[in-house]
Amino acid sequence: MLETLAQAVVNGLLIGGIYALVSIGVTLIFGVVKIVNFAQGEFVMIGMYISFFLATRFGIDPLLSLFISMPVLFVVGVLLQHFLIRRVLALGDMPQIFLTFALSLLLVNVALLLFTADYRTVETSYSETAIHLGGIYVPVAKLIAFVVAMALSGTLWVFLHSTDLGKAMRAAAQNRDVAMLMGINPDRVFCVAVGVALALAGAAGSLLMPFYPAYPMVGQVFVLMAFVAVVLGTLGNVTGALIASLMMGVAESLGIQFVGADSGLIVVFLMLLLTLALRPSGLFGGWTR
Amino acid sequence: MAKFQGKASIGRQGRRDFLKKSAGAALTGAFATFGILRKSSAAEPVNIGGLYPVTGSFAQIGQGCVNAAKLAVQMVNNAGGIKSLGGAKLNLIISDVQSDPTVTRTETDRLISGYKLSAIHGCFASALTLIASEVAERAKVPLLTGSSTDQLNKDRHYTFTPFARASQFALAQLQMAKLVSDKPKVAVIFENTAFGTSTSNGLREQAPGEGVEIVMFEPYSAGLTDASPLINKVKASGANMLFPVSYLNDLILIIRAIKQVDLKIAINGGSGGFVIPDFYKNVGGLAEGLLGVAHWNHDIDADAQKVNAAYQKQYGEFLFEYAGGLVAQTFMIADALERAASTDPQKVRDAIASLDVSKGYAAMCPGGKVKFGPDGKNIYAHPVGVQWQRGDLATVFPKEEARAALLKI
Repeated sequence: MLETLAQAVVNGLLIGGIYALVSIGVTLIFGVVKIVNFAQGEFVMIGMYISFFLATRFGIDPLLSLFISMPVLFVVGVLLQHFLIRRVLALGDMPQIFLTFALSLLLVNVALLLFTADYRTVETSYSETAIHLGGIYVPVAKLIAFVVAMALSGTLWVFLHSTDLGKAMRAAAQNRDVAMLMGINPDRVFCVAVGVALALAGAAGSLLMPFYPAYPMVGQVFVLMAFVAVVLGTLGNVTGALIASLMMGVAESLGIQFVGADSGLIVVFLMLLLTLALRPSGLFGGWTR
Repeated sequence: MAKFQGKASIGRQGRRDFLKKSAGAALTGAFATFGILRKSSAAEPVNIGGLYPVTGSFAQIGQGCVNAAKLAVQMVNNAGGIKSLGGAKLNLIISDVQSDPTVTRTETDRLISGYKLSAIHGCFASALTLIASEVAERAKVPLLTGSSTDQLNKDRHYTFTPFARASQFALAQLQMAKLVSDKPKVAVIFENTAFGTSTSNGLREQAPGEGVEIVMFEPYSAGLTDASPLINKVKASGANMLFPVSYLNDLILIIRAIKQVDLKIAINGGSGGFVIPDFYKNVGGLAEGLLGVAHWNHDIDADAQKVNAAYQKQYGEFLFEYAGGLVAQTFMIADALERAASTDPQKVRDAIASLDVSKGYAAMCPGGKVKFGPDGKNIYAHPVGVQWQRGDLATVFPKEEARAALLKI
């Protein structure tokens, strides 16, 4: 029993790390640029395909392809902000929603055209191996993904708290107008924020590839959880999104284990509902960012 | 409207090319029609319709069906066409029903009214076939299908199902459990969709009669992010056999998670996504020894092996159940046209209803015989049990039809 419980918690934490990479990206863009990126999942998909093709064409391990998918998506993010998002920022909510939602539809359909609806998997030496700790199994691919996800989140935290650019981003997140009055160049800050967010999505894609099949609609599987985590962890709060993602992973896993295999999401949404009722601004609403 | 016309013999198109064209048409909101016209012949060609989803969620299987349908028509035409109609060639009109019930309805309608079809085959997926069959019934055009839902045999006079029904699949799956263990303790995990629920209920209802104990019966939300918690549960249930009722993406995660926790358990994945080449491409060596159920397999007789060799040469993968089954269906239609000596759909329907074959490509089914009962069911139809062996599917059940020894794992 205790073993089953421990295994469920481990499973939850490991998948929570992936949710975190996606949700941190969403919350970062929302916090700084004040726009909801509905296409975040599609950038995870792009990250997966980058890793898939690097692995099958050039034999590059999906984990190493992180060093390609992240910079590529960073550049995509900067271009996206500069050429698309920037133009709708002054127009209000609706055009912003339409922009990112349309982008999501476009990317899914372009992927269908280019890659077909086939599932693509990469077989690595560690895809099916697991470390045994007592009676608990820790799948190696997921463990690596978790560790790298946590390292990236930590790096982002340090970046936000101890570099000028990071502080400028936090300032813009807290109060954009005042930040601008203090001489912060919003265009530059926004470009970096979207770039970093997309780079995280790319990292999530590369980390998923050793154990999850890639297909054009794959982003939607993860983006739903990411949005819940963003709201749960307080909109715009990076640390909040990280903690909420891990909590949700564990809640989902425990729900599947002890309530019913189709109840994982019920437990997660119940958690969201309770949080919204008791703390409408999310779990970390009162904390400093 | 995107239209592709050409001779059947050049019907060999790259899959990507095909999808590009059809998806492009879908994006612009147009309907994609791929008609294959005969060049020149003395007799008028006979139009038959093929309704398959080559875009959307059912695209993997649908594309293979289209390839097989083209191959089958080519075979009939190369053998001299329909002799009683002066050697008339079959003209296959293929339509992409886009994995969408609404599109299926309008496309079936459009094909029937636009092309004077003598018969139709399609759509493999039950949800789509039920709709196509309704439209065909109203228009009084015969429809043959590999779809297994039992609903197709209720109150229909123009719908014919040459292959095993869903209820027979569950029975075969349970009987196969005895191959693995004398006391089968089975865990059933199924996605909480119409497909998952009806299939798993069929298993649960018939289990006691077959001496199979179900120790876990658990629905899960389709589209898993992680199969480990589910497999953790299967492990705790003490089952010695697992029946996952899932589509391909969830199956991949389930099979990998089982390997990760080192769970020694026999697996019977049923039919559908479990018995297509794509499954092996995705799980590779992990598929070895896994069991499934199919309404057709490429090793059942010499004819099937011949068609399989031709298909494999052209498309680089083996002929899977739906694709192989519809080659047989095409020959059933040809046989009916031959005897009806007419392209009139009513006369073709009557000829299909009186079909009685036990040799040739039309009889290329498990059991080797086709004769339809009043409900449109082939009275000889039954599924076969298959096992993944070295990247190929081998028939291992029932004993009298086994083509390979069971691989013990």
